[in-house]
Amino acid sequence: MNVVGATVGWLSDPANWTGPNGIPTRVGEHTAICLAAMAIALAISLPAGLYTGHTRRWAGLAAGLAVIGRALPSLALIGLVLPITQALDPDRGFSLYPTLIAMVVLAIPPILVNADAGLRAVDADVVEAARGMGHGEAGLLRRVEVPLALPVLLGGIRSAAVQVIATTTLGAIFALGGLGRYIVDGIAQNDDGMLFGGVVLVGGMAMTAEGLLGLLQRVAERRAAARVP
Amino acid sequence: MRIIRTLALGASLLVLLGACSTGGGSSPAAATPAASTGGASASDPVTKIGSDGFYEAKLMAEIYAQALEAAGYRVDRTAIGMGARKVSAPALESGQIDLKPEYIGSGLAFYEPGKQTGDPAANAKELQTVLAGKGGGITVLDYSPAADQNAFVVRKDTADQFHLVKMSDLTAVQSQLKFGVATDCPTNPVCAAALKSAYGLDVSGATKLSACDTPMVQALKGKTIDVGELCSTQPDIAVNGWVVLTDDKQTQPADNIAPLVRDDLLGKLADKAGFEKVLNDVSAAMDTATLTDLGKQVSVDNKDIAVVAKAWLQSKGLVK
Repeated sequence: MNVVGATVGWLSDPANWTGPNGIPTRVGEHTAICLAAMAIALAISLPAGLYTGHTRRWAGLAAGLAVIGRALPSLALIGLVLPITQALDPDRGFSLYPTLIAMVVLAIPPILVNADAGLRAVDADVVEAARGMGHGEAGLLRRVEVPLALPVLLGGIRSAAVQVIATTTLGAIFALGGLGRYIVDGIAQNDDGMLFGGVVLVGGMAMTAEGLLGLLQRVAERRAAARVP
Repeated sequence: MRIIRTLALGASLLVLLGACSTGGGSSPAAATPAASTGGASASDPVTKIGSDGFYEAKLMAEIYAQALEAAGYRVDRTAIGMGARKVSAPALESGQIDLKPEYIGSGLAFYEPGKQTGDPAANAKELQTVLAGKGGGITVLDYSPAADQNAFVVRKDTADQFHLVKMSDLTAVQSQLKFGVATDCPTNPVCAAALKSAYGLDVSGATKLSACDTPMVQALKGKTIDVGELCSTQPDIAVNGWVVLTDDKQTQPADNIAPLVRDDLLGKLADKAGFEKVLNDVSAAMDTATLTDLGKQVSVDNKDIAVVAKAWLQSKGLVK
């Protein structure tokens, strides 16, 4: 039976849309994990990137992070972290926390680097003019720098989101739920329909995030262009 | 920044060194054909040996490979460790490889789910019947006394707490235990269905992990699960003092090791009987206890597979 036929068959089978291993449940789990990872990564990298970009200090930090972040294999990171988190919580510390941590580490470089670069790229003259008009540092950030840097920043968030959505599938090796479950189980059970159904779903989710954030990015671009006189 | 650059250079060098020095068994001794024993002939084709990806399959493949080389046959080891049965079985059928070590029960289940039993002779016979019609004919040579079958394992403290000795003991206390089963359990007839019908165990909510693999071991060690599905020759069992629960209802298939060889290759050999004898002698000399010990040397003590294989073959007088 060809792969396309098997996949279409699996996706259209109503039995696969119900229950704890059903598509809605797995999509929900996957979304929750990715959102949590992105939220934590944003909480860490946004303040850091905005700080270094605004003050134009620590130039090497973003560059260094970009290199390390791209080179660090998530699977290795999961393996390293697992014994530690498992000791803290035998259930979630085995399946959830290692993957969550690895995804946060994966998401930080694109967000931080883009926040930093986006702010640095804001025209120094514009910043000077705004300072001259009496804006304090915080107001400067909020009203001038971030709106102008927003497109680049959103580009970083978009990149991070897509990578996180795709890589969260690794967690299934350690019994995590989410869409990776279909890929890992599909391979083990020799079920091409499940395997490629999972692939289609992950790809679909990633492309949806890419599309939505891309839209936001274009809106931000237009508004940024409108702001600069 | 210089520190970072130095570290990066150091890391790249380490990677290069690692890449160059690993590859157990990648430097075969110059195979000068043995003085004529009526055995190997210069006209014999190269035997392409493959195996599944885990250490035990690779070890057995390497042992067969070295035994054949010592007898004067030329061997190609590239496909040792090529992947799971899903990969190695088609490779054998297509001729991509000529020989692979197989576990007769699981191998049979791969082709005919449900046909495997606890009787090795029956499994071997049935597997041969199936393979006679695959890939132009594949021969199942003699199976070894050595068997590596699915084993359900608990930590010592769990065994003591619930008085667990055999699988049947699990039934009464299953709600108090967290189970870890193989990822293919739901659809594997010797797993979910067999556990239910023989022991009344419901593993539908069990944690699914790759059987016999590191995540399963780690899960059992760290108490994420209480009952894990491992392989009976797995060194982790002895190393951690775990207890193997006896499969009293014999649900798990007898998984003795036997080499599978393509008839295509056998037909081209000058001395087919001699070739088969080399492999059969190796299989006969191996047993479960030895296989467990050799496996421990490879996977726990991290000794090189080729070195361990050679030492064992020499100790048995199968190679010089």
